Amino acid sequence: MSAEVHDGIVIATEHIQAAPEVVFRYFTDPALLTTWIGDLAELDPLPGGRFDLVMGDVRCRGTYLVVEPPHRVTFSWGIDGNRALPPGASTVEVVLTPDGDDTMVVLTHRGLPENRIEQHRAGWEHQLARLCRT
Amino acid sequence: MVGRTRSKNETPDAVLRALADPHRRQILRLVQHGELPAGQIAASFTLTQQAVSQHIGVLKSAGLLTERRDGTRRLYSLRQEPLESVRGLLAELWPEALSRLKRAVEEAHPRDSGRDA
Repeated sequence: MSAEVHDGIVIATEHIQAAPEVVFRYFTDPALLTTWIGDLAELDPLPGGRFDLVMGDVRCRGTYLVVEPPHRVTFSWGIDGNRALPPGASTVEVVLTPDGDDTMVVLTHRGLPENRIEQHRAGWEHQLARLCRT
Repeated sequence: MVGRTRSKNETPDAVLRALADPHRRQILRLVQHGELPAGQIAASFTLTQQAVSQHIGVLKSAGLLTERRDGTRRLYSLRQEPLESVRGLLAELWPEALSRLKRAVEEAHPRDSGRDA
């Protein structure tokens, strides 16, 4: 397990002892997805189909962009009511690469607004202004 | 102010929830450059004073507002620290989520024991 944040991008990786075909379904089947993230999911795993996820009181909304079983799935991502990260603002790409009988998962979340803020703490005022813009 | 412990409500989720309301974002915008009395905050809204007080309460419990008493007045100012937890939200979200994914997949699809890892 590891994560990096750089230039508005978060990369997370994980090694899983199962084949990509098995792991892939955990990104497209609501019952399987919610075993590891969120409480409730409405998924339509076709390009243009919905990727809606309720995590506690936070609602994430997105759209599947690329669905290529069993190796690649991408979807847009955003949070209802969050102006810094509105629905559709960023994209998540998941690449599943076989590693023997196992799978290497590389998840890349691009287009995050926090980017510039990390480099300049004073940027938080700008960030807040964005959050507060109505 | 220093030494204040992080309340359990001060999670990225709570901060996002607090920020999800336009009135609450407006309150933060009002106090971001300096403290203001509650009455002056309420005067900026068409909401009832009670509704504004409730919004202030949500922001306070998310750690986004600092309250100071000056005689009978309550003065509020922005507290930035919780916003930083939002910044880290996604950086923490995905590694933790993938770790749960690994557990979920491997529990549902156990490999034969005695097999080389």
